[in-house]
Amino acid sequence: MIEITCNDRLGKKVRVKCNPDDTVGDLKKLIAAQTGTKWDKIVLKKWYTTFKDHIQLQDYEIHDGMNIELYYQ
Amino acid sequence: MGSSSKSKYKEKESTPSRSSKRRHGSPGADDYDAHREKRHRHHKHRHNKDRKLERPSERSRQVYEDNDVEVISVENPSNQKINAAESSGQGADSLSIAETNRLRAKIGLKPLEVGGSDASTSGKKDDGKKKDDLGEFYHKPAENWADKAQRDKIRNRLAEHKEKRQLHSKLAKVKTLGESDSDDDVSNWVDRNRNSEKAKMEADKRAKMLEELDAQFGIGEVIEQEQKQRRNQQYTYKDLRGLRVDHDVDTFAEEKQVILTLKDTGVLDDEDDVLVNVNMIDNEKYKKNVENKKKKVLYNAYEDQEYDEYGIPKEKSLLAQYDEEIDGEKRESFRIGIDNAALRRKAAVVQSVKEKLAKKKLESIAEKQLTLASEYYNEEELAKFKKPKKKTRRIRAKGKLTAENLLPARKVEEIGSRRNKFKVDGDEPDISIDDVPDVEMPTSIKFEEDDKDDLLEKALHKSRKVKQRENIIANIIKAEVKEEQSSEENVDGNIILNSTAEFCRTLGDIPTYGRAGNRDEDEDLIDFDKEAFNDEKSDDDDCEIVELSGWNSVDPRNEGLDLARLAPQEVQILDEEPDVSTGMGAALKLAMSKGYLDKEDNNRPSNSRFAHLQAQHYSIEDKSYGEEGNERPGGRGRERYSGPIQDFKEKDSFKPNVKLEYIDDDGHILNSKEAFRYLSHKFHGKGPGKNKVEKRIKKSVQEQLMKKMSSTDTPLGTLNMLQAKQKETQSPFVVLSGSKQQQQTAISKSRR
Repeated sequence: MIEITCNDRLGKKVRVKCNPDDTVGDLKKLIAAQTGTKWDKIVLKKWYTTFKDHIQLQDYEIHDGMNIELYYQ
Repeated sequence: MGSSSKSKYKEKESTPSRSSKRRHGSPGADDYDAHREKRHRHHKHRHNKDRKLERPSERSRQVYEDNDVEVISVENPSNQKINAAESSGQGADSLSIAETNRLRAKIGLKPLEVGGSDASTSGKKDDGKKKDDLGEFYHKPAENWADKAQRDKIRNRLAEHKEKRQLHSKLAKVKTLGESDSDDDVSNWVDRNRNSEKAKMEADKRAKMLEELDAQFGIGEVIEQEQKQRRNQQYTYKDLRGLRVDHDVDTFAEEKQVILTLKDTGVLDDEDDVLVNVNMIDNEKYKKNVENKKKKVLYNAYEDQEYDEYGIPKEKSLLAQYDEEIDGEKRESFRIGIDNAALRRKAAVVQSVKEKLAKKKLESIAEKQLTLASEYYNEEELAKFKKPKKKTRRIRAKGKLTAENLLPARKVEEIGSRRNKFKVDGDEPDISIDDVPDVEMPTSIKFEEDDKDDLLEKALHKSRKVKQRENIIANIIKAEVKEEQSSEENVDGNIILNSTAEFCRTLGDIPTYGRAGNRDEDEDLIDFDKEAFNDEKSDDDDCEIVELSGWNSVDPRNEGLDLARLAPQEVQILDEEPDVSTGMGAALKLAMSKGYLDKEDNNRPSNSRFAHLQAQHYSIEDKSYGEEGNERPGGRGRERYSGPIQDFKEKDSFKPNVKLEYIDDDGHILNSKEAFRYLSHKFHGKGPGKNKVEKRIKKSVQEQLMKKMSSTDTPLGTLNMLQAKQKETQSPFVVLSGSKQQQQTAISKSRR
């Protein structure tokens, strides 16, 4: 289990527990459940890389305690 | 917004559990009430906010409904979430594991692997295997170095213990000193000795028994014989007699054993065996090396005699230092028992000493008698003294003309010329024609004759006569002036002719004589005589020239008349022409007067020609003086030695006429360009190419042709031809025949 912090720097900052083999889409759904935004409106970024929905977190090398930028589209 | 609302929730929920005291350091009762008041206010505020908060949750519910996802109640999880948040103590929202699991279940994901990390790691350790990325292969786990080190350590300790045990067991067998003492008894020792003695006795007995047996069978004699034979066959000093030892006898110390071995020789060498000692050979080698290292100086500057150890002078051969290399090393050797080398050497020394004594020179102490040195040679010395031989030069017996020489010739001449009237003075001083040329009145001709070729002389005389006419005219005035003198000493005024001079002068005429084929001298003589006759007959006529190069004679009787007649006519306006025949000087004079030769003055370059125009007192020194004077008014520069720029006062008038001329191999004078080329070719040793040479030759030939070409005529000589034609036709014009002329005439006619 890993815990990831997502921050949109506009007032929403969520810590989400998930598995490393979850996809980014799954993570988005979890975030959506916690924040109350639609999951398909969420964009996750690290610097300039936008994470794609169908790829596992471990493949993006997202580890425990990492910060991911949260954007909306 | 959400977060802030949630924090409010937290406070709201936490209030019952927490005491106010815990929140604030040490609050009193009043404080507590005041806080309560505040809290109430808060509550109110919160309620408003709660209402506001309901909306988004409702909205979210709607969203979830739209997405066909189960509706998640936000209210319930929030309670649990608070605990988690409190435990983490972070500002961010975070659900607990259980909460998240529930959520995940709703979304359709597998539950979180809570504590899975520990479980997975432990499991991995148990397996000792690791799956690779693709999950296909299991990898062997890496060795644990710490475990290995521990294992090794334990093993080492075990091995040590084992060894110790073994050593202990080994040492346990050995008896210590005390123990052994206790074992060895005196009685034991005695027993042992007795045993050994007994064994010896038994062995002796057995040997005796065997000998007795041998004696019985006669074996002993056979053995003795064999031993004798062996002794006879043995190699003894008798066999060594005559063997050569390759060392000096003296090197063997007396009463000392030396082991000699056979020297190595080639298998096919048919030489005697030679004995050597290896150690002595080494010693010799070492000595030789030491000698070589000493670096003897080969050069013996004063040719000092060298002496060997006995004081006998060594005989020296040429380049003795190479003898060893050429002839091979000399080795002292002797034969065992045959020649006693030591004795021989002693004898040689004695002999040499004797010789030396015999050779000895006795020098006397008495010095040589001193004598007074004299400046002059005494008679003996004079006899010894050789004068340097004078080179006797052979003077060529050139016919120097003397009166005696001439006498017989004169007779001949008198006979031939039939001029008997003229007496010839025998006492007349002999004057060569070179010294006083043509001074005398040529009343008669006297010949100096070489006996060898009087015939030739006659022929020469023939040609001489022709030329003489000119001489006569030319010399009239001179002759008149000197008449008195000549009459004194030379009454007849003979012309003296030098044979060689005459020969050279008339060289041009002779070829005709040879070529004509009239070589017969007699005939010539006759001719000569005839001509003489003819001349005499035609006396009144002015000497007619029969042949230009032939001989003519002058009748001296008519001379007076001739002179009288000729004198007024021939005295020229111009100066008299110098006689070319008289010599080189005259010839040059003539050439000069005629302008064939330039005067030397004219030939000088402008420097000397215009020397009189140059400044009289100008010198190079003046230049430097002006400068120096400006600098130093003292004028010290004058006295100073001014070096090579000083004028030569004594050579003031010397104006050298320097003219550098370069002449090539053919004698042509080269201009500067050509000269440079010539010198350059010579210097570099490399001539011009074939083409260049050809070109140059062609050019020079052309130049020659240009010079030869006459300036008055065309190269084909048309002018000459024209003139000849004109002479032939005796008309001032030449008719050019041809059709063209007719046309021209026609045209001219039409014009008219």
